[in-house]
Amino acid sequence: MTTGAWLCLFAPLLGAVLILLGGTRIPRVVAGWISTTSVFVAFAGALWSFFALRAASGHIGRISSAWTWVQAGNFKVGLSVLVDPLSTMMMLIVAGVGGLIVLYSIGYMDGDDEERRYFAYISFFVFSMLLLVEGGNLLLLLVGWGLVGLSSYLLIGFWHDRPSAVAAAKKAFVMNAIGDATMALAFFVLIAHSHSLEFGASFATAGQLSPTAVNLVALGLLGGAAAKSAQIPLHTWLPDAMEGPTPVSALIHAATMVTAGVYLIARTHPIFEQARTVELVAAGMGTLTLVVAGLIALVQTDIKRVIAYSTMSQIGYMFLGAGVGAYANGMFHLMTHAFFKALLFMTAGVVIHALAGEQDIRKMRGIGALMPWTRWAFLAGALALVGVPPFSGFFSKDSIIAAALHDHWYGVVMAIAALFGAFLTGLYTFRLYFIVFPGEPSAFVREHHHAHHGKEGPLTMLVPVGILAVLAVIGGWIQLSPFWHPLTTWLEPAARTLGVAVPTNTQEAIASVAAVLLGLAGIGVAYGLYGTDRLVVPKLPAVQRALEHKLYFDEAYDALFYRPAAAFATWVRRDFEEPVILATGPDLGEGTLELGEGVRRLQTGLLRTYVLFLGTGVAIVGVVFMAVR
Amino acid sequence: MLGPGVAWYLGVAAFLFGTGALGVIVRRNPIIVLLSLEIMLNGGNLALIAVARHAGNGAGQIFALAVMAVAASEVCVGLGLVVAINRKRLDLDIDKLSELRG
Amino acid sequence: MTTSSITSLLIWLPIGAAIALWILPLSRYAIGSLAVLVSLVEVGFWIEQAARFDFARHGLQFSQRTPWIKDLHVSYHVGEYGFSLWLVGLTVVAMAACIGYGFWVGRDRPRVYFGLMLMLTGSTVGVFVSQDMLLFYAFFEAMLIPLYILIGVWGGAGRMGATIKLLIYTMTGSLVMLAAIIVYGLKVGTFDLVDAPPSASRWLFLGFMLAFAIKATLFPFHGWLPDAYREAPPEVTAVLSGVIAKVGTYGMLRIALTKFPDPSGYYRTVVLTLGAAALVYGSLLAFRAVDFRGVVAYSSMAQSGLITIGLFSGTNIGFDGAVLQMVAHGLISCSLFLIAGTVERRSTTGEFARLGGMARGRPALATLLMTVGVISLAVPGSAAFAGEFLILAGAYQRAWWWAAIGATGIVLAAMYMLRLISAVLHQARGPAVPDAALDLRAGELALVVPLVAALLVLSAWPAGISHHSFAGDAPVQAVQGQFR
Repeated sequence: MTTGAWLCLFAPLLGAVLILLGGTRIPRVVAGWISTTSVFVAFAGALWSFFALRAASGHIGRISSAWTWVQAGNFKVGLSVLVDPLSTMMMLIVAGVGGLIVLYSIGYMDGDDEERRYFAYISFFVFSMLLLVEGGNLLLLLVGWGLVGLSSYLLIGFWHDRPSAVAAAKKAFVMNAIGDATMALAFFVLIAHSHSLEFGASFATAGQLSPTAVNLVALGLLGGAAAKSAQIPLHTWLPDAMEGPTPVSALIHAATMVTAGVYLIARTHPIFEQARTVELVAAGMGTLTLVVAGLIALVQTDIKRVIAYSTMSQIGYMFLGAGVGAYANGMFHLMTHAFFKALLFMTAGVVIHALAGEQDIRKMRGIGALMPWTRWAFLAGALALVGVPPFSGFFSKDSIIAAALHDHWYGVVMAIAALFGAFLTGLYTFRLYFIVFPGEPSAFVREHHHAHHGKEGPLTMLVPVGILAVLAVIGGWIQLSPFWHPLTTWLEPAARTLGVAVPTNTQEAIASVAAVLLGLAGIGVAYGLYGTDRLVVPKLPAVQRALEHKLYFDEAYDALFYRPAAAFATWVRRDFEEPVILATGPDLGEGTLELGEGVRRLQTGLLRTYVLFLGTGVAIVGVVFMAVR
Repeated sequence: MLGPGVAWYLGVAAFLFGTGALGVIVRRNPIIVLLSLEIMLNGGNLALIAVARHAGNGAGQIFALAVMAVAASEVCVGLGLVVAINRKRLDLDIDKLSELRG
Repeated sequence: MTTSSITSLLIWLPIGAAIALWILPLSRYAIGSLAVLVSLVEVGFWIEQAARFDFARHGLQFSQRTPWIKDLHVSYHVGEYGFSLWLVGLTVVAMAACIGYGFWVGRDRPRVYFGLMLMLTGSTVGVFVSQDMLLFYAFFEAMLIPLYILIGVWGGAGRMGATIKLLIYTMTGSLVMLAAIIVYGLKVGTFDLVDAPPSASRWLFLGFMLAFAIKATLFPFHGWLPDAYREAPPEVTAVLSGVIAKVGTYGMLRIALTKFPDPSGYYRTVVLTLGAAALVYGSLLAFRAVDFRGVVAYSSMAQSGLITIGLFSGTNIGFDGAVLQMVAHGLISCSLFLIAGTVERRSTTGEFARLGGMARGRPALATLLMTVGVISLAVPGSAAFAGEFLILAGAYQRAWWWAAIGATGIVLAAMYMLRLISAVLHQARGPAVPDAALDLRAGELALVVPLVAALLVLSAWPAGISHHSFAGDAPVQAVQGQFR
């Protein structure tokens, strides 16, 4: 089974290297197909390990090591992959959805003059993401963690002529570097106690640490998870990351990388369970994010930013699920979210592609009439997102809310917030839908909607959209708690759901009914405000302005961290480095010269002066000798 | 032990040395300065020999011989310089020969 | 203890070749080719040596010892330990690339230039392998002379000031070290580094540390760094930061920590603080630097600080990480400065305000700069990451705050390196970048690609160095046991 995992891991890397070495010698379209093939080969590898693992008795997991990656003293970390239920599930999602999105990219990126670079990057991303989920120890997980951050940086800044894209890429990288650093600190604690970063040994160590230490470890991991998954307060990079090409947003900033935080919590849950408070902080963080992001999404006018905030909000649900201990529910939502959010981004991409790169929803009105298939696909994604049965989001989201409901009073509070979030989801999703798709096509749309690709886009774009649309509808059917839960059972050996997060049937029913009703209410309000029969949109200028400024997080960070640090650095350079350090050398030289100037005057050229000095010297030496004796 | 005590010899030596030193300091003619230097050196030699004899070993006398050799070569160089200065038609006045001033 | 003359060959082959270059009446082209050839032969010899090196064995290998001044127990004693083997490898590889760069750009007065570069190679190797303090000192000084001349003659507009500054700083350091060597050698009765017993003298420790801190550009002894790095020809800067700065950290490991166990314990916090200061201070200044070389120069300072933290953490993983990081950062800064040189050749400037947009149409330059840049900011998975991770994990075992400061350094590194990358490669084309500026040529690729390839190999297998630097991979024991 590990052969499949190795194949899965290295096929995309091989693809990236081939494209890099091929350079301009291979045609652009070939680069696209190399990349797509490599990711589908990875998917085949993932399937291989999945079935092998299913066939194996007990499917607990197996680690296979290629070589010792780092060794120092008695600390040793191998380059190893882990095949267990959790990692195979992630491998399937990453390689599967990834393959579809790379295929979609062939159509989307067609005509860009740096296509080869794009495909090399995206293959490299898939490799990094697979390394993250397959890594057989915490250090390799961190390596994958960092490399996905790197490929995310490369892809956000893909159009590097645009200053905004470059700035967004840098911001994403630095935010994630903060997360990497806190994770590294957490690992240092573990190394100091157990000299190991193997999963088993680390989890065992966590049980023996002092409460403070284990809380710090969990906080460090949570820092990494929050940065990667764009949870408040480390979320500001995600909306800006929409500067990248749309397939990148679909793959990295919706389906796979940003959900890595949830995977991390599920993977290291034994540590989090030792630090239950921190785990609940994760849940609270998720709750806060899902509400705030939902609110901000209400006022955004860029189609990709609306979906980006929706992603943040949905990851908030996953954090809530994983935080209360319902890891399988979190992972389930991760999977369905990968389907429907990738679908939403890709349909948005089809629209953007058709409108020559326009992303402002106010100009897109009525595009649905010209692109009916896209419209239906988007609608499927939107309904799945809102969680309307029988679309996939219903099954996964409601189980999270139900799990939260079971967990003490704070669980109830978080569940209520999550229900409010469900209302917001319906509202912002269908605000988007009603503004963009229905109605008569606007003049702008007619002018730009070019028909040279056939009706809606090239086949390489439409096929993946179609497949994902189907998955967005049926993807949730694999689990309907409390009646039918193969996924939870599958994940049980790797991440057993905490007892406090198993809801009663009544709670399941309450959560489902309430969430669906609130979601539908949101849709209804959206229809009322933005549908064809227009009501007056209520005006709350202060609130709206605050939301449009994303609650001033960027401004606050700028004023609190960036500008003071930059000012301090400038001050150090201007008032310390230059006058003190750099001037010391020349000052010493000049001091020596001046001293010489002074001594020069003693050299009169007159013999008698010299004799006088000589005599004085002898006299002093004589006196000293007398005195010392 | 014949002759006066060592103190007398040392007294003479000190007198010679002092005379020489005075000459070196106050005189401006380089020839006189060289002469005074010789007197200083001989004062020193006298002291060396006297103490050597007093102590009863030859080390001081050998040292005095070395000093004489040095003095001889020094006079050679010194007089050579005087001749060179004279050839350049410069004043034989060491206060005016202050080229080495810093 | 194996006796072998291959170590001496590594020292004297380039020096002999330098003398031959000065004597033989060769053409311009022949001089350059011969120098490149000799530097490649050096690399070959080193590979041969590395292949035969026994990493499990304790004590000196490939050693050679001939009495020199018998009364004082001074001898010509050379040999290698695991970590010196890697540093010698770094030296010969980096020097080969830099000599190749000099050949590629066609430095004028080639006879002198290539002779000096070869002399520099030989004497730097000598520093890393000498096992006698006076010999160490001799090579230490012999290494500086070519540097002074190379900067003073082939440098930029402000080269004289830079040279004088470098001279004042390094001479101060080495004279104090000479005094320390003499006192120490006379006190213990031998100048042999292997035989000399450890000393408890704090003054001697400080004497050695001053020289090494200046060489390694620890805060606040780095005053010579910005000018020298900026004014020297790029390939000489590459050597300065990639190799010469490592002499300082090597000296800390080989002499200061090994021979002065008590004083290094006593001053541990002070040195760690200086290292942390260099790390943070260098990173901050790198973030505000206005030109390519300024960023890399101050980042080298930060890295030296980090390596010092690793060494003085006094833990197994700290030592291993420090050695790994010395080699990794040597390769990184060498390639970065060579790339800086190629950029400056195309645009005549390294100032960010006048650069930009070089990625478009220049894929090789963009790929290489991006690769080295992200390795240098220690993206997880890279050799530099492995080194920094080990160093900080070791520092954490000393006290948590060293690791926390180091982690801040990692974030700052991301900030300044990304700033450099985008200022050179991205956004609109800078005013100093001509439209016709070419991508890297085959000759330039032949210089930088091997360095980057070495970095990638190290990234795939950092254990190659971290596990093969100290016999039995027990550095703390090895240091306490004086590497015997």
